Amino acid sequence: MDTIIILYTGAFGLIFIGIAGIVLSRHLVRIIFAIGLLEAGANLLLLLATWRDGASAPIIVGGRVPALMADPVPQALVLTAIVIGVGILALALSLALRVQHAWGTLDMRAIRLRLEEEIDDAAGIEPPTSADAPAPRPTAPATREGGA
Amino acid sequence: MTPLDQLLLLSALTVVVPLFTGNRRITGPLATLLYTGQGLLLLRMAGLGYGSETPVSSAVSLQVLGLELHWRFDALSWFFALITIGAGLLSSWFASGEWAQRYRDSGSSLRLFHAALALNVFTMLVLLASGELLSLFIGWELVSWASFLMMSLGSNTALRYAMRYVTYAFAGAMAVLMGLVLVYTRTGSFEFQAFRDAVPSMDADTVWLLFGLFAAGFGVKMALLPFHLWQAKAYAETPGPGAAFLGAISSRMGLFAMIVVLVQIIGVARLVELPVPFTFLSGRDLLAWVAVFTIIFPTFTALRQHDARRLLAWHGIGQGGYMLLGILIADDLGSAGGLMHVFNHATYQAVLFMSVTAVIHRTGTSDLNKLGGLVARMPLSFLAMLIGIIGLAGLPPMNGFVSKWLVYRALILEGSPLLFLGAVIGTLGTILSVYKLIHNTFLGQLRLEHVDIEEAPSSMLWPMMILSTVVFVTGYFPGLVLDWIASVQAAVGLPVLAHHLGGVHIDKGGLDMIWVVSVLLAGFGVGALVFLSGNRSKRVHQLDNYAGGHFLTADTRYQYSDNFYPGLMHLIGPWYRKSFRWLEGGFVSTVDTVSQLMQGLYRHTHPAFYLLAVVVFALSWVMGGD
Amino acid sequence: MNELVLMVALPLLTAFLLPVIDRLSSLAARWIGPLVLLLTAIIGLSAWSQTGSGAITIELGNFRPPLGIDLYVDQLALLFALAVTLGTLLLWPAEGEQRLRQSTLALLLAGSGSGLALSGDLFNIYVLYELIAVVSYGLAASRGTAAGQAATLRYLIVSAFGAALALAGIALVYQATGTLNLAQLAQLAPTQLNNGQGLAAFVLMLVGFGVKAELFPVNTWVPEVYATAPARVAGLLAGVVSKLALLIIVRLLILLFPQPEALTVMLVLGILGVLTGELAAWRARDFNRMLAFSSIGQLGIMFIAFSIPGKAGVFAGLAVALHHLVVKPALFLLAQRWGGSLEHLAGVAKGSPLAAALFILLALSLIGVPPLPGFWAKLLVMIHLLEQQSSLYALGAWIIMAGAALEANYLFRVASSFYRREAAATPPAAHRTGDLAGASLLGAALAAAVFLIVPLADRIEAMAGQAADRDHYIQTVNPEPLP
Repeated sequence: MDTIIILYTGAFGLIFIGIAGIVLSRHLVRIIFAIGLLEAGANLLLLLATWRDGASAPIIVGGRVPALMADPVPQALVLTAIVIGVGILALALSLALRVQHAWGTLDMRAIRLRLEEEIDDAAGIEPPTSADAPAPRPTAPATREGGA
Repeated sequence: MTPLDQLLLLSALTVVVPLFTGNRRITGPLATLLYTGQGLLLLRMAGLGYGSETPVSSAVSLQVLGLELHWRFDALSWFFALITIGAGLLSSWFASGEWAQRYRDSGSSLRLFHAALALNVFTMLVLLASGELLSLFIGWELVSWASFLMMSLGSNTALRYAMRYVTYAFAGAMAVLMGLVLVYTRTGSFEFQAFRDAVPSMDADTVWLLFGLFAAGFGVKMALLPFHLWQAKAYAETPGPGAAFLGAISSRMGLFAMIVVLVQIIGVARLVELPVPFTFLSGRDLLAWVAVFTIIFPTFTALRQHDARRLLAWHGIGQGGYMLLGILIADDLGSAGGLMHVFNHATYQAVLFMSVTAVIHRTGTSDLNKLGGLVARMPLSFLAMLIGIIGLAGLPPMNGFVSKWLVYRALILEGSPLLFLGAVIGTLGTILSVYKLIHNTFLGQLRLEHVDIEEAPSSMLWPMMILSTVVFVTGYFPGLVLDWIASVQAAVGLPVLAHHLGGVHIDKGGLDMIWVVSVLLAGFGVGALVFLSGNRSKRVHQLDNYAGGHFLTADTRYQYSDNFYPGLMHLIGPWYRKSFRWLEGGFVSTVDTVSQLMQGLYRHTHPAFYLLAVVVFALSWVMGGD
Repeated sequence: MNELVLMVALPLLTAFLLPVIDRLSSLAARWIGPLVLLLTAIIGLSAWSQTGSGAITIELGNFRPPLGIDLYVDQLALLFALAVTLGTLLLWPAEGEQRLRQSTLALLLAGSGSGLALSGDLFNIYVLYELIAVVSYGLAASRGTAAGQAATLRYLIVSAFGAALALAGIALVYQATGTLNLAQLAQLAPTQLNNGQGLAAFVLMLVGFGVKAELFPVNTWVPEVYATAPARVAGLLAGVVSKLALLIIVRLLILLFPQPEALTVMLVLGILGVLTGELAAWRARDFNRMLAFSSIGQLGIMFIAFSIPGKAGVFAGLAVALHHLVVKPALFLLAQRWGGSLEHLAGVAKGSPLAAALFILLALSLIGVPPLPGFWAKLLVMIHLLEQQSSLYALGAWIIMAGAALEANYLFRVASSFYRREAAATPPAAHRTGDLAGASLLGAALAAAVFLIVPLADRIEAMAGQAADRDHYIQTVNPEPLP
């Protein structure tokens, strides 16, 4: 019984850390890692859905059926989810790399500002101007390491 | 196929034909011919107008989503259709000859103009024929978009104001739709009869809500205060004959819908029972006061205009107030006045717009500060405008007098002196501004650049003369129109006005226009006799004159017509505060601020933050609710 | 019957074979994608009549559910499978140097989209949903600009977040019931999921799958991606993929979650979507983002409609969804050339009158002007909302009305600028024939629907009735009871 409480705590803990990481970080790589943690938490939760203490793998070896078998369905699902998760993490990192090469920053806030400027530029929208307008906002610093 | 189907079919054909004939010269006359055909088909149903026929239904009916749509014509529809087709016929005639050539040469599409005009007529007929609330709404939307098409043919200004119109009109339509759906959820049907049966059992709050939704929604089209800002410029800048058509009938569709829903179904008696909280007013009074302010404010705005078309368009808004006021009194006199004013207004407003368009056609401007003295060059156009403004001002012997007299009489008899006072103030503004209109256009000094112009072409004069004759004849013999009005009143369920050819007979002083006009004409005749028999007059040239000891030359401006009424403006000028524009601007900037906020939501660096908020909220709510 | 499996398998197979085919013949590689999609569409259409009387189920490998995986084919699922196939065909995004890669992605999208529409268990739904997500990242970034990649990255973060939540929701469902087969879940739902845990699972899945369905508040990616991705891709995402995600949510709602609170959550989020979307669109200054925000608003209307309980809600929601499915892709096809600042569109009607007229037709239908189909859909939603006699549903109706008024304003501000007399300094280039033809086709379909509204409404109602019938689903699949 203790094991399962620990495991559930771990799963929810991972989910919580993941969400907190996504919400609180500004550095892209940290956010991507946080997504990885979040996924790990969700996967663990799925495994725990039919957790049986002391069960053995659901494999029949030599015609001997184990007394207590683990449910194979969540394991298959988790396996797939892990594969997908790794793929998405790789894709995210490669996109982050591209963005870093192009704009020289991994700071989410800087990326957002830059993104908005580029969209406006591409669309041909000039920022609203007025004689009374305050001075234009300085563009976000572009550091090699990112703004973390 | 019933006569109604034939009429609608021919009307649809009128939309299609210009699309094929295109920019050729034949388009205008052909369209005019088709309108004549529509008119004849309408006359086949004339029994409706004289109350001797039961409503004509269309053979077409649709069943969509389990809702039945059907169409029919009764006396009310027939009366409005008569005005619509008449206005379409004369506008299209007006747009057939030289005007069309000029319009085409300026690079505009004649095809589009005639198609838009025919589409307006067609959609209006569809609206007038609606047999339940859903087809009423469909017709309503069609009319709105058709008039948007017409307005957007004009200048950039017209396009801008047409845009404003779309915004107002669609918001209004949404209010109407909301009302319809509310009715449907109460009664399970869109039929007029089901709605009428359900009204007595509705509580005051529901009726208030429906009243508000319908009055606001339909009021937009009528340009009732405070939804009036779009109309004047949008109408004024529409191509001339189009402006005549829109000015004559387009906004009256709002009145038609209001009569159907507020008078025929909910009933004015029910509106009188609705108290306005904290006051001694009722729902009816509230709307009546809106109508009175709709008379006063736009009329005095018209007084300040120096563009002839805008001046007329602002008056168009104001005159709508008289109609609504009359109908809200809901006795035999008042409602007859309101309904008759629809017809009368259509006739003189069309003739006025046509006459102004004729002046523009010849001089190229409608700026009242740049015209004058044209009576010597365009006497028939002058005559048309003269008859028109007498009608607009509501003076005998023209038809506008009769309808306004009926409304005033009803207000006095019913005991609403304040409303009466408001209406009279409005009339005062009308008289002042129409004098400005005719004086600055046709009287005074002829300008040097206008010395060589000619009378308007016959394609323009004919419609103007026909309309002027109608304005005069229906003023002389108002019974001709009152016959139709009486059957409309019977169809709507209002008390029917007892009348005769010359007017009405009531105990406390009736009105007999045959007498009034005959005496007036006799007076004029005597005056003319004195004038002619004295033979003391001599025709001289306008410049055969001197001032300050000097003879005048053609380039001397000895008579100024700009800055008209400076004394009056000094007096009432500070009252023009543009409050409604301010109101509209305030609303727009509120929406702007809120939407900036909403865009901010989508711009935030950490969208996940909102996600977290929602998940946490939802989960905690789930745990709490468990 | 089993040929319906080809709707899923054939595009996926072709997608993986495409690089090989390209080695052999680049001409074949260019044409095989559309041809395969055409073929699958024909397969789907030929199966259409079979589903009229009742849904059919396909047991893959002849294993009985719940142990085997099954495809559930009712008219709704088949319609959406067809929509994704035909939509991909119409908005075929492959062009330029990246042709091969984009063809592969498009085929993957069509295959996995069909699979998502047809699949009958949560496991497959999750996997295919993720597959669509990955494909959409690839397509969204396919312009290769840094802005496109950054926007995709932000999209990816939200999407991965949502996917993890959905997975957690699936875990909760599995823990409560011990199965992932939808039919069996539907059997167990009234006893096992009708509690707080079930509701939590629904909210998690709603938010998770809601990312693609542009559900507030997980739709922050929408304006950025639609502005930076190629317009055809944006049309696919807004028109087709969003509806697929919505279909999944509605399926789950009907089968798994009987709680009235679930509907309330959807209603509230839908109302917020309409409010934020329409208001933000009102202020948008470029064509793409205006369309993006407007599609958020429209999806909000769908969420509101689907939150009406019973068959009425499915009917109303489906009507709005199908209407939007036709209109939005057409608008994005026009955006292919008209993307960019709205000011540049002044006076374009002179150069491209057909495109301007199409825009007006689509806009009129979008805001719901009778007699266009959009009106009937909106009327249906309004009637059923007000029939609920609840103030929250009535609020939804008022918000939809106000949103429509705003939408009329901003769409016609644009439309009337087309007809301004003075043209913009740099007018956009004329539309390519392909884009214009596609948009015209959709516009013609819309116009034809005006005359076919009566039979169409009957069909959709029957479809909604079939989809809303939980017992029918259970009986059709007829899963064996769990040991």
